[in-house]
Amino acid sequence: MKKKIRLIVNGEEKVLTIDVQQTLLEVLREDLGLTGTKKGCNQGECGACTVLLEGKPVSSCSLLAVKADGKAVTTIEGLAKGGQLHPIQQAFNEKGAIQCGFCSPGMILVTKSLLEQNPNPTTAEIKEAIAGNICRCTGYVQIIEAIRSLVP
Amino acid sequence: MRLLEFDYFEAENLEDAVAHLKKYNGSCQIIAGGTDLLTALKQRLYTPACLVSLDNIPSLKNIKEENGAIFIGAMCTLEDIINSELVAKKLPALKQAAWEVGSPLLRSLATIGGNICLNTRCRFYNQSSFWRSSREKCFKAGGSICHVTNKQESCVATFSADMPPVLIAYGASVRLIGPKGTRLLPLRQFYTDNGRFPNEILTGSGEILTEIEIPTPSSQTNSTYCKFRLRNSIDFPLLGIAVLLILDKGKFCKDARIIITGAGSAPIEAVEAREKLLQQELEPQLIDAAAQIAASEIHPMRSSFVSPRYKREIAGVVLAEALEKAGGIRE
Repeated sequence: MKKKIRLIVNGEEKVLTIDVQQTLLEVLREDLGLTGTKKGCNQGECGACTVLLEGKPVSSCSLLAVKADGKAVTTIEGLAKGGQLHPIQQAFNEKGAIQCGFCSPGMILVTKSLLEQNPNPTTAEIKEAIAGNICRCTGYVQIIEAIRSLVP
Repeated sequence: MRLLEFDYFEAENLEDAVAHLKKYNGSCQIIAGGTDLLTALKQRLYTPACLVSLDNIPSLKNIKEENGAIFIGAMCTLEDIINSELVAKKLPALKQAAWEVGSPLLRSLATIGGNICLNTRCRFYNQSSFWRSSREKCFKAGGSICHVTNKQESCVATFSADMPPVLIAYGASVRLIGPKGTRLLPLRQFYTDNGRFPNEILTGSGEILTEIEIPTPSSQTNSTYCKFRLRNSIDFPLLGIAVLLILDKGKFCKDARIIITGAGSAPIEAVEAREKLLQQELEPQLIDAAAQIAASEIHPMRSSFVSPRYKREIAGVVLAEALEKAGGIRE
C-alpha cells in the first residue's frame, strides 16, 4: 500500500510517495539519500538512527514514516551551514568525542535537542540525555566533555 | 530486517477503529507509538494484514483531573507523562516509572496505552525469525512446546512492562471500547496471567484501550517505583516493584500495596508482605522481614536471562529499597 506524505527535512519541504511499511530511517536513507542517519540495531536500542522530530530526538528505525507526515525532521546533514561545522560538531571534533563516527550523528542531534531545552545541563542531565545512544569507542568520557564544553 | 507489507488505516474516531479491527477479523492490530510493535514485526512475531493508527484522535492525548480522579488518554506518550505537572504532583511514582522505560529516544514515541498492552517477553520468543528457526516453534509462537519448561501445556513468558505495577498500586482502571460497547475494568483484571495471551486485548476481544482512570491519591499516600536491570537505560526490567504506602504520622502503616513486574506472566501483588506491614511502624527490621516474605511470594521462570533464584534474591533487595524510599527513610 502506497501513501503520499509531506516531510520538512532540514527546512526543505519533501513530498514523497512511500510504502506504508517503510520506517522513517529507510525513507531518509533510501528515498532521500541522507545516509548520515545510521542503521545500527534497527530495534530502537542503539540510537544510531536518531533524528529530531519537531525538535525532539527519536529512533527513526522505530517510527513508521507515515507517522511523521506533516512534521519537521532534522538529520545530521541539516547542521553544518555554508561549509562550516555546527558548534556542537566542532566541539565533538576538538574533544576527541569522535572515533569511528557511527554514533556521532545521533549523539550530536541529542546534544542539540538537550541544549535547546536546557542550555545549562548538569553532568547528570547530560548522561540522561545520551542514555539511549550507545558508543562502543570512546567510553563516553570525551562525549560528555565535548557537551560540557558547550555549557557556559 | 524490513517490515512486510500491510495496509495502514488512520482512524478518525474510535467507532471507525473498532469497525476496522472487526472487518479484518483478527489480522489487524492497533499501532500506538509503535516502538515495541515495529521490532516485533521485524522479528515476524506477528504478521498483520493491517495496522490501525489512532494518531488522528486528539481525545486520546488528554491528561486531566475531574471529580476526584485523574484521567490519562491511552495515546499520551511517556514523555507527556514525564512532563505533566499533574502527574508529577499527584502520581510521582507514575512519572518515575515512565522515566525508567527504554530511552529518551523511545519515550518521545512510546505511549502509556502501548506499555499497558505490552506483550509478555521470553528469551526464546523475542528473537529474529532466523534465530527462532533453529528450534521447534514454541508455544507462544503458535507451536506446541515451551522451551523454558520443556512442557507442552503452557507459556511462561514474563510480564515486563513498567507502568502497570504503579498503576495497579494506585488502583487504576482502564476503559476499553469494542464491538460490544465500552467497559471500565480494574487494571488488575485486564491481565490474564496467561503467558501466551497476557491481556484481554491479546486474547482477541477486538477491543481498544482508550483511557486510564486513577482515583486521586490522598495526601497521606507515599509511592515509588524501583526498577532493577543490568544497564541503567534501555533495558526492560529484570524486576520492578511499585510500592504505595498510606502512612499515618509519617510512620504508621495504615495501608500498603506492593506490585511486582518481571516475576511472572502478569503483575504480581505481594499479599503476604503487605499483611506484614499493616498496622505497624515502618522501621528497618519490619522492612527486612517484609522483603524476605515478598521474595518467597514470586515464582519467576527462566524466561529471562537471569535465574529464578537470582530474581528472588533481587526481589528482597529491591523491595527493601522501595519501602525505604516510600517511607522516607532514604532518598
